[in-house]
This record gives sequence, C-alpha cells and structure tokens, in this order.
Amino acid sequence: MQFGLFFELSVPRPFTGDSERRVFENALEQARVADELGFDAVWVVEHHFLEEYSHCSAPELFLTACAMRTRRIRLGHGAVVCVPQMNHPVRVAERAATLDILSGGRLEFGTARSSTWTELGGFQVNPDDTKKTWDEYVRVLPKMWTQERFAYDGVSFSMPERAILPKPIQQPHPPLWVTVTSPGTELDAADRGIGCLGVAAASYAEQERRTKEYRRRIQQCDPVGAVNERVATLNFLFCHENPRDAATMGLLMLGMFSLLNAHLLSTREAYPTRAYHSLGNLAPRPAHDDASPGDRRAVPEGIAIGSPEQIVAAVKRWESIGVDSINFIVNAAEVIPQEQVLQSLRLFAREVMPVFR
Amino acid sequence: MLIGSANIEALAARAPVMERLDGEPATCEGADVLQVTYEIASPDREAMLPAGLHPTNPPIVTWLVYRCPASPWGRFAMAQTRIECRSGLRLRAFLVSAVVDNAAAAQALASRWGFTTQPGQIELHRYYDSVRAAVVANGRLLFDVVVSDPDPLSPDDVQYVANMNLARTPRGPRLVQVEPRYHIHRVERGRPRVAAFDSTPWGDSRIQPVYPVSASLAVADFTIPRIRFVCRPDVLAFEGTEAVEDAR
Repeated sequence: MQFGLFFELSVPRPFTGDSERRVFENALEQARVADELGFDAVWVVEHHFLEEYSHCSAPELFLTACAMRTRRIRLGHGAVVCVPQMNHPVRVAERAATLDILSGGRLEFGTARSSTWTELGGFQVNPDDTKKTWDEYVRVLPKMWTQERFAYDGVSFSMPERAILPKPIQQPHPPLWVTVTSPGTELDAADRGIGCLGVAAASYAEQERRTKEYRRRIQQCDPVGAVNERVATLNFLFCHENPRDAATMGLLMLGMFSLLNAHLLSTREAYPTRAYHSLGNLAPRPAHDDASPGDRRAVPEGIAIGSPEQIVAAVKRWESIGVDSINFIVNAAEVIPQEQVLQSLRLFAREVMPVFR
Repeated sequence: MLIGSANIEALAARAPVMERLDGEPATCEGADVLQVTYEIASPDREAMLPAGLHPTNPPIVTWLVYRCPASPWGRFAMAQTRIECRSGLRLRAFLVSAVVDNAAAAQALASRWGFTTQPGQIELHRYYDSVRAAVVANGRLLFDVVVSDPDPLSPDDVQYVANMNLARTPRGPRLVQVEPRYHIHRVERGRPRVAAFDSTPWGDSRIQPVYPVSASLAVADFTIPRIRFVCRPDVLAFEGTEAVEDAR
C-alpha cells in the first residue's frame, strides 16, 4: 500500500494579499515533510476560477516547486485538464517532460476533463466534447513523448510534423492515470491501460465494485502507452492519539471540504448532457441523499480520521479491496492549524505506515 | 464561503402567507417543462439571497416554465424566476417570484408551497426547430426567450433542483423547501436566447442575465409533494433547518 497527499490549495475568505501565499507555503512544507516521512506521492489538482475551493490553476509550477524541495517523493499531476481551450496537447507534453526532467523522473501524469460549469463555461468549452478530447489526448501524449518527430490529423487539433521537446526521463514515459469521479470512467481507464486515480471519496462497496471491474477489464486492454494498472483512492487524513480530538479536527476539515465542494456549480446542474452522469462531487456522500439540508456528518466509513489504530483498520480494509494507494487530503481552507497537520502526518508515518511496509 | 445578505424583512414583505405547512400533494400529468439557464452578473450575488443560502460561482438564474394541461385546479401555466443556490450542502433554487395564469392554481401554490405569484399570461410555442416562451403581466413583457435547435437527450440527462420559497408561516418567515418529483417522458436541449427580461416586476431589479448556458424542454408528469423541511432564512441550514413532521 502506498500513501500520498492530495492538494486542492483551498484558500479561505477573505482573500488578502497574504492568504494565497500562506496556503501555498503550507502545502509546500507538507510536501517536504511527507517526503522526509516516507510518503510516496504528492498529487496536485488543476482547477480554474473555483474561488476558495481550489486556487491551483498552474499545478506544473507548484509541482516544480515541490520537486525543488523534495528528493524522492513522486509528483502527481492530479490531473491535467485535457481540453484544448485550457491546455494544448503539445504544451501538455512539453511541460510534463520538463517536470519529469527537473524532478529526476518522478512524475505521475493524471488526466481529466473537468466537471464544473464554472471551468468549462469560463473557457467556453462544449461539455459534450470533453470526453472526446480527453480520449484523443491520452492516445497522443505517449506518442509525443516517445516519437522523435510527431505529426497528427485529429478532431480537437492537428499539426504538421515537429520534434516535441524535451523528452521525459522515465522510459518509455511517465505513468498515465485518469481521474475517476463519474461511474464508468474506471472502465475507460481499463480499456486504455491507464491507472485509475480515484478523486471522489468512495464507500468500501463502491470502491470494491470499481476495482474488480477495472482489474477484470484491464486484462484485455488496448493500451495507449505503457500500461499502468494501479488503483488509487481519495481519502481524508487526520491522525491523533485521542480519537475524540481526531474526530473534532478531522470533521472540521471534512465539513469545510464538503461545503466548498457542494458549492461548486457542476456541469450537470447547469447544462443537461449525456456526457456528465454525476455531479462530480468529491466529498463522501451523505448517508441519505434526501436527508435534511441541516444534517451534520459523522466520520463516514473508511475515512482516515481517528487514532492510529482506527486508521490502520480502515487502511487494511482498503487494502483488502485491492486498492494500491491512498491519497489524503490533509486540510481544507486552513481550518486545521499547520502544526497540527504536520503532527498528524508524523503520527501517521510513525504508527500507521510501518504496518503496511 | 459566500453567504446571502439580502434584507429578509424586505423579502418577507412580499412573500405569501401560509397558514399551515401540511398541504396535500398535487400532480400534473403531461406537462411541458421549459428550463432556461443563464449566468447573471455577479456584483450582487450575495445580496440577492437570504443569509440561510449560499450563492453559486458563477451565479445563475433559471427560468422554469410549466404548461400543464390538467391539474387539480384545471389547466394552468406558471413561469418562475429562480436563483440557483445552496442550502447547506444541497443544490437549491431560491424563488424570486412566479407568474401564474390560473387564479385557483396561484392561490394553492402560494398557500400550500409558498410560491410568490402574480397573475399574467404565459405562452409556450413549439416550432420544428425552436421553442418560444413569453410571459406578460400587467401589460408588460416580463420574459421572452427563443430556444433553438432542440436536440433529444435521455430523461436521466436533465436535472431540476428543488425550490426554496420564502413564505410567512406560523413559525415566522421560512424558506419552504419544495421538491417536485418528475417523471420525464422526453426531453430536448437547445440554445437559449433571451430577447427580453424585465427583472423589476419579478421582484429583484439586480438580476442581469449576461451569458446563456442551456435550455431544456421536457414533457413530464410532476408531483409537488408535501413539505418536509423549512429553513430559517436568517441562519445557515445547519442551524436553521426544521422538519415539518416534528411540528404536527
């Protein structure tokens, strides 16, 4: 079992000249400490226009800063939005290869297509097209990284033959992933031979179903590049010796994340389309979808909020389901003081991590 | 996070009176349901909602037009102007007001579900390659939209969010959560172009549509059920939500 951190870079209001810098610096410090403690990866999202929820619109720059401050931890694009209005595929290939070089071959490359109207509408993207462009990107990127010269005549872009430079260090190329929120995307991942990067907190049953389907299907994949058959899931981490203290702080984080996440304007809500079957919510689902709007949450099943013993039990369950790695959100809008976040990481590394190594 | 900051007393002054919260459900079969969504200018996004609700980013308005051939009150049509919002973690739409062309329906919608209504005329015309809707009240054109190139979708592809209707209830001013259930027979999506929107008669002159998002036209049966929850308009849903059953 591998463990990673997952950064949204959420910034609390009011936005001051210092608030964004503080969030970025805290996250960079968490990445450095995670590197020292033996965590395996830091993942960083790409989002645009999502006030408070995520100010991480240039993840390649943030990951470069991570690369400069760490030595061994892997660096995850979690994930690059594969629509041409936001990222031209050539620029994606160039930036990723550069990051792979600068990090000494530590890049994990996630792909996505965005799930909010806020982002798609802002770039005037037709939501019906994003699955098509994502599919095109994941097929051409490995070729751009591995072919000396590349030419293409496609749907979302075309180009005459050029040498796309630089080339990544990792051979044949960095591992490819796709973020999974909508049901069925795990099958898209399997069909293409790419990793399943869960970015929506799923229940045990849901994750087990997805993992089984993915494992079965990837056996007969038509790979777009080097096969990556790992399954990662998203979780929340606050580890404390006292379960009650853990729940108090952990639920504060979970509650804030859930609120900010629920306040996003999903594509499905604004724009009826067959291309988006779910709202794209990342927070754990409420126990009952028709519950009162005033419901508060207990710690949902499988969430790593608790004492080391409680978290060990949860991780063992994830392991038994077949999950290869768990990526943790460790704060939301800075509701947990930085020193407590770092203490939680250290306690996890000391008491939980060795059980799985 | 963003929280509404509207003057609740001013909003409540034009809200309907609900003498009780346990009204019977009502079903309308074979209705045309047109939903038009636009982004609106954001400077006043907080000021348009009471403190119990959160604006979306970007703020959007939905116009929801029902044309019902049969209902407990006979044939009627209703056009609503709503601002999408959040109540706690839930997707909701705050009703600015509605125009209803049937007095009995208007009276029931106001007294049983807290719809703020005014009388008017609502037209909905289907053409081969477009749909047009227009709303007139007191001789003024309040809303006029053309939806072009309707394209079929699956019923699962469209989503309607529940209303939060501000009403004066026995408990005081409350946001009444109205959650129509839809059984959609067919639905199409088209490109909307709002030719006219006179926001002042609807009740909030600050609503400025600035960017078209989508429009859908469905044929559906829908039921407006009993009220399950009301929320205080002055505090967040986590503190201000009240189950209606508890009061019986």
